[in-house]
Parts: sequence; structure tokens; C-alpha cells
Amino acid sequence: MMRKNLTRRTVLGTGAAAAGAAAFGMMPKRASAQTAVSLQLSWLHSSQFAGSYIAQDQGWWSEAGLEVSLLPGGPNAPVEPPVVAGTALMGISAADYTAAAVAEGAPFKILGVAMQKNPFVVTSLPTNPVNEPADLVGKRIGMALANTPVLQALCTINGVDIDGIEIVPTQYSAQPLLAGEVDCLLSWETDLPVAMAMQGVEALTMLMADHGYSVHSQTYIATEDSLANRRAELVALMSGEARGWQAYREDTDAAAELTLAMYPDAGLDLETQKLQAARQVPLMFSELTDANGFGWWTDETVAANIETLALLGRSVTPDLWDRSILEEVHGT
Amino acid sequence: MTGLAWRRVRARRIPHIRVGPWLGIFVLFAGWELAGRLLTDAFVLAAPSDILRYLSTEWQLMTRALWVTLGNAAAGFVIGNLAALSLAGLALVWPRSERVVTGLALLVFCLPLVATGPILRVFFGPGSGPQIVLAALAVYYTTLIPLLVGLRAAPDSWFDLVRSYGRGRFAALVHVRAMAALPYLFTGLQIAAPAAFLGAMVGEFTGAERGMGVLTIRALRALDVDMTWALATVATAVAIFAYLAIGALARRVLLAEPPVILATPMSDSAKRTAWRDAGLVAACAIMAWAGAIWLFDLNPFFAKGPGQVFDALFLASDAQQTRTVLGDALTETALFLVPGYLAGLLAGAGLAVMLVLVPALSSIAMPLAIALRSVPIVTTAPLVVLLLGRGATGTITLVAVMVFFPTLVACLHGLRQTPGQVLDVFDSYAAGPFTRLIRVRIPAMLPAFFAAARMAVPASVLAVTVAEWLATGAGIGSLMALSASLSDYDMLWSSVVIVSVLSAVGYALVSVIERRVLARYAPEQLS
Repeated sequence: MMRKNLTRRTVLGTGAAAAGAAAFGMMPKRASAQTAVSLQLSWLHSSQFAGSYIAQDQGWWSEAGLEVSLLPGGPNAPVEPPVVAGTALMGISAADYTAAAVAEGAPFKILGVAMQKNPFVVTSLPTNPVNEPADLVGKRIGMALANTPVLQALCTINGVDIDGIEIVPTQYSAQPLLAGEVDCLLSWETDLPVAMAMQGVEALTMLMADHGYSVHSQTYIATEDSLANRRAELVALMSGEARGWQAYREDTDAAAELTLAMYPDAGLDLETQKLQAARQVPLMFSELTDANGFGWWTDETVAANIETLALLGRSVTPDLWDRSILEEVHGT
Repeated sequence: MTGLAWRRVRARRIPHIRVGPWLGIFVLFAGWELAGRLLTDAFVLAAPSDILRYLSTEWQLMTRALWVTLGNAAAGFVIGNLAALSLAGLALVWPRSERVVTGLALLVFCLPLVATGPILRVFFGPGSGPQIVLAALAVYYTTLIPLLVGLRAAPDSWFDLVRSYGRGRFAALVHVRAMAALPYLFTGLQIAAPAAFLGAMVGEFTGAERGMGVLTIRALRALDVDMTWALATVATAVAIFAYLAIGALARRVLLAEPPVILATPMSDSAKRTAWRDAGLVAACAIMAWAGAIWLFDLNPFFAKGPGQVFDALFLASDAQQTRTVLGDALTETALFLVPGYLAGLLAGAGLAVMLVLVPALSSIAMPLAIALRSVPIVTTAPLVVLLLGRGATGTITLVAVMVFFPTLVACLHGLRQTPGQVLDVFDSYAAGPFTRLIRVRIPAMLPAFFAAARMAVPASVLAVTVAEWLATGAGIGSLMALSASLSDYDMLWSSVVIVSVLSAVGYALVSVIERRVLARYAPEQLS
């Protein structure tokens, strides 16, 4: 399909088409040994992706012959289209979004799992705490209505009646909680609670992954076509990721500092980034990754994912996950 | 009328900022400061002193971001306005094409940002492409429409004069139409300046490394109220500056007084071709849509063609459900959109009339009005909703604000187009200000008012979808954002089609009313 792309674009022969093709990374390979590939991130640059920055900064990718562009995401930048179109060789998605895309015909495989534990939490204040799902009953929770299936899944897993919870539609901000408009928020462990901590408000977080909500997050996805035809590049890319994240784990403060140094225009605050980087570690590393390496999963974790995804209305099979790239990276 | 006398009339009619207004602005800032300090714990509003403190420490970051966004906005502004000029030129050279050109231009302008952003990003890849294109898309239409009005805003006698010298349409264009269109062009450019900045910022939401939009997302997420308001303040200041600069330029260029336009009512032959033109627009749009997907070989996973959308809406097994979801979302949106649109129109025209009657108000009202409109909606949507609540009030207010300012500018301009000679006649009969208002100024304002009312249709759709997307999580705006993140591109493209078509229908409805009214008051517009 990409070959067809190239010819039709070439036939067009216009400057715009050439620029488009160049941007799509589909120009003929350069004479140099470096292969240009892109990794589509799922959000704006921040220490959320600092492992990748370390790999870039240390030259681990260029050693392997890759010239990697890290493409930032944003609120209006879905990850899946650039990966399908070939703009990006690999993208950072999540099991639920990937499952939705596959249901719509995208030929994706999950190659690695950066966040072993889903980062969704229920954030509350110590004066009115939510420590376990049963505490949600009688509370007002602020969240996007679009996330209702997530709350529904949590309730089903834990035998809580969702009708006992008042859902208040809010934008993604800690403000409604601080203003007392709601009792708790559905958020990520690594953003709103961190923002609150930086404002001097220590929040309580109940990690949904600790209560049976098993959805792999920050998953690496690529198309089946890439998996068949661009294996070497995928292995090199993933290998850099694994090394980068290992280094990240050893010194998250340094990783946060590198993030600010590499992206001075992102408007990041060092202390916030350090805290975010540190809070991300327990989500990314576990006994499983200690034993088998970064990004690993087992048949059991996949089975748990399939169960939770079914509650979210997504029916997937274990072959959505493909471990062959990781196995090559970790030499197993 | 002699030049001197004209100058006197002009000076009386167009208020200038004097000392009094500075007091008004001071009071405004003092109130803001006070409110900011009182609301510190609510994380909603930053006081001017907090904003200054933030800007003084982070001015380097802010300058770099501003430079990037401003560059993209300027590029989009130039491209968009050049496109408007060429489209107006095409419509003029080939008058029969005008309705099809404006119809297609309208459809493209109505494409919702939420949906076009990601597609442009995939198309352009990394870089500034989507930012520039979205800025250009945000401006070209608001320039095109006043321009087309202006190109006709000349008395028949002038064209007769050109013809009596044996000169053709080109001479008429250069000597009559271009001159008549200039005031309208400047109005369009003034409205376009803040829109270009907004377009560039929204473009950054599709994945950019730097810029004001990137910083805005960061600030909102981080609960950094000082940073959010500092960004909104800088963006507003830039937009106000652009507005004033274009206004100043216009005052230097436009020296002629508005002419008396007396035209005979046109026959309604144009009416008969309306349906055919609408059909042509639809056919062209569908062909361009399918053609673009084929030409650029866009991936069918996210690029859905006309056939697929038809399939999703009517033939697929879940078509009924798709239609229900869309219908519910549209109903929800309409409940915010229609009141906001009407309130904005009324407020804009009402304030313009007030300002003419009580010129002293202008010096307080205008800066506030410009500021309100220039604050980029992407930073304010969440803030307005925070301030006014997540119910209907917040969203309706946002829509009204987006509609209000272009209407105000257009109506003020229209009121100024009152021919001096006609006012002289009324003066000689000692007619009071109200009589002059009702019998002269408001009729003179109507073409500009209706042009604004038409343009406000897509603007209000933009406002409501952005507010739903970023703040309230309801309606069609939220449905589109959700469909994109869940890869439900059938739903996304169906929404895009329906939103665009409904916007165009709304626009056509306003046009019908306009034709009825203008047939009486300004028949030269109905050629």
C-alpha cells in the first residue's frame, strides 16, 4: 500500500505532494546508513516519555542505525491514524484504544506494554476519602461522560452499584474537586494529583488497577505490515526504549531534567516533572518486568485485560498482543 | 458638502478615545484585580498583578511561544486572505459562479476543527502545516463575504459613468468596485486577525512541539491559573493590537465618504436558479471530497468517502443507532447554539446602535468588546464554563460572545456607511437622533448586519463545538472528539457532514430573511 502511495504521489509531481511524501517519511531511503523512523507519542512532551528521550540523548538509536523522530501528541491528535498511514512506525496507545481501532479495521498489534498497571485513579481529598470502590457510593465523581464505561467496569468488578454514584460531567481538571463541586475525580495517577500536590494539596489516589481494572496502558503498537516487513527497525526502536526506560528507572530526577533540557519550549516545571517521573515508576515496573524485562506481559495479564475490555464493550482475542519483537529485544 | 463640513460630521460621528475612558479601563482592571484576589482558592481567575508577575519571570518562554504561533497565524492570515481575494475575483469575473463559489467556500468553512485537525496532521506530518492551514481556514470566509458585499456597494450612476466613457468591466472594477470594496475588506481583515491566531492555536492541539496552544494545554492541566491567564492576556493583547493596527491603516487609506446608493429592485430571476446552484454546490463538494481521498490516497481506516458515510447513515445494520446518536447530540447542541446565536446578534447590533446614540460609551465598550472577542476561545472555553457553571449558561454565553463581536464591528461599520447627504437632508428638517437612527442609519446598516448574521452561523457552530469538546463534554462537539479517540471514523465523518450541511442550511435560512428585508432597504445587494 505504501508503494502505491509513493507512485501516486510522485505522479502528482507537485511541491505539496512532495512535501507531503517527505513528511510521511516515504521518500526513498537516503544513502546514509541511518533509517528515519517516527515514534508517535500519545501526549505533549513531558517526563511521561522520558525513557525515549534518554535513548535519543544517549545515541542508542543512532548506534543501531535509526534516526528517530519523537512526534508529540495532543488533545486533538489521535495516535492511530499516523501509525496506520505510515507517518509513524510505532505509536504509543492503550489496550482499550487499540481494541477500538482494531474493531474499526486497523491492523494493529500490541508489541510492548510500558504501563503494566493502568494509570486511572479515583482522586479524593483526605477529609472525604475514597480508599476502595465501595467508598464511591453516595459520592459525586467528576469525570468526562465518555469515561462512564470505565467507572461501570470498576463497579461491576467490585460489586458496587453505579446508580449509587452521582456522575458530574467535568472537564479534565482538578479545579472542581478543589472548589468542592465534586467529592472525587476520575484522573490519571500522574497528572491531576501531581498538579494538586504542586499546589500544596496532597490528594488521596485509589489506583483502579489495584481493584481489578486491568487495561494495559502506554502500549507500543505497530501495523501487521510493519511487523512483517520492518522487523529490524522495530527491534532497534524497542531495544532503545527498553534501555532508555531502564536508565529512567535508575534516576528519575535526571530523566526529568533531561526532559526540560530537550524541550525547553514545552513550558514544563522541573519539580512537577520530577514528581511525575517518580510516580510513574510503580506503574511501569513490577516483578514481572524485573524477571523478564521492560514491556513484558504474560498470558495471565492478557487474559485479565481481555476480561476488563469485555466489560468496556470491546471483544478481543489474545493474538492482539505479539511478543516476538520483545523476545528479540530481551534475547529470550 | 465641503471637505471641512464632512470632517466635522465625521468627528461627531466617530468617537475618539479621550481621557475619560482611561478611568473606565482603570476601574475595569481594579475590579479584575479585586476579583482575582478574592477567588484565589477557587483556581479560576488570576489577578492582573499575578499575571504580570508570571510574565516577568517567564517572558522568555512566552516570547518564544508567541513568536511561533504568531508566525503560523500570520502565514495563515496571508494565505487565507489571498484565497478570499482570488475567490472574490473569480466570482466577479464570472458572476454566474458566485453562488457556487460562496457555497463551496461556506461548506469548507463549516468543517469542524475537531475533525479537520487530526486529518491535516496525518496529511502534513510533523511541522507547522496544520497550524497554518487551520489559521487560513479560520479567516478566508470572513474576508470573502464582506468583500463580495463591498464589490457591489456602489451606485449605479458610477457604473453608468464608466460605461459612458466607453470603458469596460475591468475599468469599473479598478475605479469603482475596488474602491467601494476597500472599507468592507478592512472590516473583514479586522475580524480575521483574532481568528487567525485562534486557528493557529487550535492547530497546535494536533501535536506540536511549541507555541501558545501547547502552553495553554499545559497550563490548564497543571492547574496553573497564572499561566493560563497570562497566555490568554498575551493572546488577547496581540489580537487587539492587530485589530487596532488594521483599523489605523484603514483610516489612513479610506478617505472617501460613503456614497448614496439608489438602486432599482432586481427581478427575482436569481431565485429560480437557487436550487440548481445548491445542487451544483453539493455535487462539487462530493466530487472534491471523494477526489481528495483518491488523489492523496488517504487511508480508508480514517478517511471515509461519501459512499461510506452514506452507508454508515442509511444502509449499515447499525445505521438506525448511528442516526439516533447523532440526532441526540445535535439536539443537545442546538439548545445551546440557537439562544447563543440570537443573543449575540442582538447584543452586537444593539451595542452598535447604542454607541452611535451615546458615543461616550464607545471608549469603554469597544476595548472590552475587542478583548472579549480576541481572547482565544480555547483558553476561555474552560474558564467561562468554570465561571458560569456547566449548565446551559456557560456555553450559551460563549456562543454569544463569538457572535457578538463580528456583529458589532460590522454594524458599526454599516452605521458609518450612512451617506452624509442623506443625513444633511434630515438635519435640514431638524430630525432628532431617533428619527435619523430609524429612518437612515439602521437601513444603511442592514447589509452589513446581515452579512455578519450569515457569517455568525459558522462562527457560532465553531464556538459551541469547541466549548463542548474542551469543557462541557456534551453534544456534537464532544461526540466528534470521542469518535476520533475511539477510531470511530464513520461516526466522525458522518458528524462532519451533518454539521457542515446544517451550518450551510442555517446560513441559507438567514439569507432568505436577508433577501426579504434587503429587497426593501438595499436592493443593490441583490443582483
